[in-house]
Amino acid sequence: MDARTIVLDDSHGDVRVVVVRGEHDIYTAPMLRERLDEALASGPVGVVVDLSAATFLDSSILGALLEARRQALERGTGYVVCLGEEPEPGVARILEITGLVPVFPVVRSRDEAMIAARSAPAGSVGEADRGDERSEAR
Amino acid sequence: MTDAPVVRLELPARPEGVGVVRQALTGVADGLALAAAVLADAKMAVTEACTNAVVHAYADGSGRFDVEMFADEVQLTVVVRDHGIGIPEDEEERSEAALGLGLPLIAALSDDFELRADTGDGTEVRMGFLYEREADPADENPITGGPGPTGRWES
Repeated sequence: MDARTIVLDDSHGDVRVVVVRGEHDIYTAPMLRERLDEALASGPVGVVVDLSAATFLDSSILGALLEARRQALERGTGYVVCLGEEPEPGVARILEITGLVPVFPVVRSRDEAMIAARSAPAGSVGEADRGDERSEAR
Repeated sequence: MTDAPVVRLELPARPEGVGVVRQALTGVADGLALAAAVLADAKMAVTEACTNAVVHAYADGSGRFDVEMFADEVQLTVVVRDHGIGIPEDEEERSEAALGLGLPLIAALSDDFELRADTGDGTEVRMGFLYEREADPADENPITGGPGPTGRWES
């Protein structure tokens, strides 16, 4: 099995980056919740969740990501998920079929995510648009 | 389907067991003509079925669940079975950590799917995955709705 790690990277100034590597499910969801709580508690302008090195996510992980998004929305904190240029099927598929790509929102590159997290509070990409954007993670 | 499973696992209904089932599934798939995209879907659907057993089956967390994998000429069938209380109908009885997407994901990711939930006699989820698909099951059983204000998925 791939190494499973979830690391909070606070070396990017006013944006905290939570880097998720390997396979993640109900076993590691509590760890992800802790890292996301830590990231939000430090009062950043934005939080980026970097899934570009993740190989598998389940609905427990989606639940943790959505809860953090809800908290970010309440605080007016930017919140963006990035998938990388070549996302694993076990990561892109669940985001795609649940229609969550525009909800988080999900972007491809870390650079794009950093810019978006600094410029827009969570949820500012409208959920009403999700039907048109569902295919972005393909 | 052949009578004997290719793999049979019995595990404590604890979070750390779910990854073990995925590893076994990957090993079984190595010997089959399972398309990569189908294997990815199978890993996700089976994970959700196992997670349901871990989260919902046993109030005191002390039970076990078992997994059987059968291979025939056209598909891999995976059966996940627990002996617990079943998936509660009442939203208040569900785990706060559960998003409520498990069964919709299983339906969207498997080529056929059967749920047996007998009150007091556990839950059995049976999922079939075709080696070669002609259609995406997520098109036939799309996931609708989105995250609600309570944190649970709302259709």
